[in-house]
Formats: sequence, C-alpha cells, structure tokens
Amino acid sequence: MTEAETAVKAEAWAEKFRQATESDPVIQCYAKYYTCDFLLDMEDFRVGVQIRDGQMHKIEINSAPLEPHHFSLHAPAETWRKMSEKHPKPFFHGFWAASVREDLRIEGDITVLMQNLRNFTAQFELFRQIGVPV
Amino acid sequence: MAKIAPAIGRYVTIEVDDLEYRVFWLENGEGPPLVCHHTAATHNHQWRHLLEDEDFTSRHHIIAYDMARHGKSDPPQNAEWWKEDYRLTADHFVNFVIAFCDALELDQPTFIGSSFSGCVALHLARRCPERFGAIFALQAAEYASGWWPDWWRHPHTNAAQVCSSGVWDMMAPMSPDNERWLTMWYHMQGAEVLKGGLHFYSMDHDLRGRLNEIDTGKCPLVMMTGSYDFLTPPAVTKATADQVAGCDYVEMEQLGHFPMSENYPLFKPYLNKALELIANKRA
Repeated sequence: MTEAETAVKAEAWAEKFRQATESDPVIQCYAKYYTCDFLLDMEDFRVGVQIRDGQMHKIEINSAPLEPHHFSLHAPAETWRKMSEKHPKPFFHGFWAASVREDLRIEGDITVLMQNLRNFTAQFELFRQIGVPV
Repeated sequence: MAKIAPAIGRYVTIEVDDLEYRVFWLENGEGPPLVCHHTAATHNHQWRHLLEDEDFTSRHHIIAYDMARHGKSDPPQNAEWWKEDYRLTADHFVNFVIAFCDALELDQPTFIGSSFSGCVALHLARRCPERFGAIFALQAAEYASGWWPDWWRHPHTNAAQVCSSGVWDMMAPMSPDNERWLTMWYHMQGAEVLKGGLHFYSMDHDLRGRLNEIDTGKCPLVMMTGSYDFLTPPAVTKATADQVAGCDYVEMEQLGHFPMSENYPLFKPYLNKALELIANKRA
C-alpha cells in the first residue's frame, strides 16, 4: 500500500470512528459533559481526538507532536491490532487490562481521564467494531 | 400470577470487635450450608443466579449476605462511622465472617468468596480451618498491591462511574451485556465503600511467606480464577495455590473477575467441579 493509500484509509477510519462515537447509544445517553482531548499513539499514527459533549469536535490522524491533550494512550501497533479484535485475547480486552498486563501506557492528566471514564471506556470498545488504522 | 422469587431476605444483628452490625442476607435451599460473599463495593445480588438455581438449592442451603457497609447492611449502629476513614483489616474481616456464621448457627459451612472475599477466604483457611467444611477462594492471590488509590472517591470525579467503569475490563468481553452492566451497576451503588474495602485487599492482606500455614487436611481449599481477570490472572492465582499443599486450582475459561455475576451459565460447571473435588476428598 502506498503512503497516499494508507493516508486515505486512515482518514476513512477516522470518519468511521466519528460516526460510531456519535451514534453509540451508551455514549450518547450520557453525552453531555463528555468533553476532553486525548491522544491515541498507535506507533504508525498519532490520533488526536477532541470530544465536546459527546460529539467529535476534531480528529487528526497525524497529530502534531506539540498538539495539546489532556491524556494519552501509547502502545505498539501490534497491541492496538490485538485490542481491536472482535474477540480479543485475555489482557488485550481493554485499556485497563492492557496497561496493567501488557505494554499499553497511560500518560497525562489522569484526573481528566477519570472524570470521563464511563464514556471513554465505552468509546474504546468501539475499536472492536471499527478496527484501528494500523 | 405474581412471579415471587424463592429466595428470602432477613436481617441479623451481630457484634464484631465491639461494633454492632445489622446484616442482611438472602437464602434459599436445603442441605449443607454454602455461604457466599460478594466482591468489594457490591452486594449479595452478585449471587442472584446461584440463589435461584434448583440444581444447587435442591442440595445446598445457599446463604448470600451483604458485608457491613455494603448493600442493605449498614455501617455500625453503635459508632460515629462518618467521622472515621474506613479501612477494612484482615482481623475485622475474618471476625465478621465468623460472627455471621455463628449468629446463624451454621455447622461446618462451605465458604465461597471472590476478589477481596476470596482473599479473606485464604485468611479463614489459615486461621480457623476447623470452622469450615470447605473453602473456595475465587479471584484471590497471596498479595494484591496497588489497588488502594484515591481515585475511588476523588472529589473531582464521579466516584460511581470511576468505580464501575474501572471494573469493566475485569470482565470477559464475551460475557452477556446485560449481566456485565448489572455487575457494573452494583459497583456504582457501592462506590463510597470501595476504597475502605480495598485497604484490606491491597494493604493489610499479605500472606506472602505464610501460605504454608494453611492446612488443607483440616479444611479443603479450592482456588479458581477467570482467564480474563487482569487483576488476579491465572498465573498469579496458580502461583498462590501452588504454595499451599493439597490446594486444588481451577482456571475458569472465558470468565473474568466476577464469574458468578458476569456469566453464571459458564461459572456453574466450575462451581460443580469445585464441589465434586471436595466430595471426592471427603470420600
């Protein structure tokens, strides 16, 4: 796959992520105040996400190094692929599990993550439906 | 026709270390008593399926209580508990279980506990094996540090959501949605007590170097854990079981940290297996 094709595929994934988030009933029934900025470092892509009241305000596939965010999740591409399988193996079945037992790292302002934990947890589950771009 | 469930709930007042507790329990069935303890911050509804499963209630007296400060069991009636930082200890936990079993005049009950009550099961096996017919320790380990952070009741967060969402990954992803959400719901209800309960789990509970003091000749011990439990994964529970002579170890496939609540149909054969292991030993 060429670099341009990879970029197009990643942009298409970003749109799927937006649609899945904004149509997910678990997130949307508590959408108000689900507001935060986070980074998903997938090794090949640095996905920057800005959420405002449960809506995708902005999503960037190649977030700039100094782009601000509240918290971030970092893991090798292979870990993200395993976490996005429909039936993930033990300890790849969520970001808590993967951060305690595998090689996912959580960094940044953990208070903001905890303030938005219910919906971020639900949003993370969407990767099992839409996959990841890596 | 009203759908009245067969399980009946009652209260009993017990005294533990000079504290007076009014304890709620559910029970159903006839036969040797099987005393069931919930996980931290939840209540006896985690055992809702077992309490109404005729395969077990036809041959066991199932008793599932709410630990003090959980569910319908209030904090102590004779203390100004709201002026203290609740920190559960192994001593108090053990004394609570014994006092409850004494109050109900249970003869050689089988005790089954999960997570923090799985850990207290190990203390019961070590300290007072003569009091129990058998002990099942689910999702337990000799030591479980790191789970006593302030996040469980941080004033800048919604503690109910933190406590419940924090346990989401402890369940197997293939467990039914409605059962996983119910299990989360119980955690939402008990968020205020989670940190105090985990003081025992992550701070006071430490049986490293003491597991050889458990005599399974006096009381059989079975340890079981779910393959998706990242808190007490199979390797950790097995490492604990391996240090106890005569302890049986069972890994529960496709289950997480709350097997009796998150997917009872999968848990049921494992409970049967544990009971069979004990029956074979007695035979």
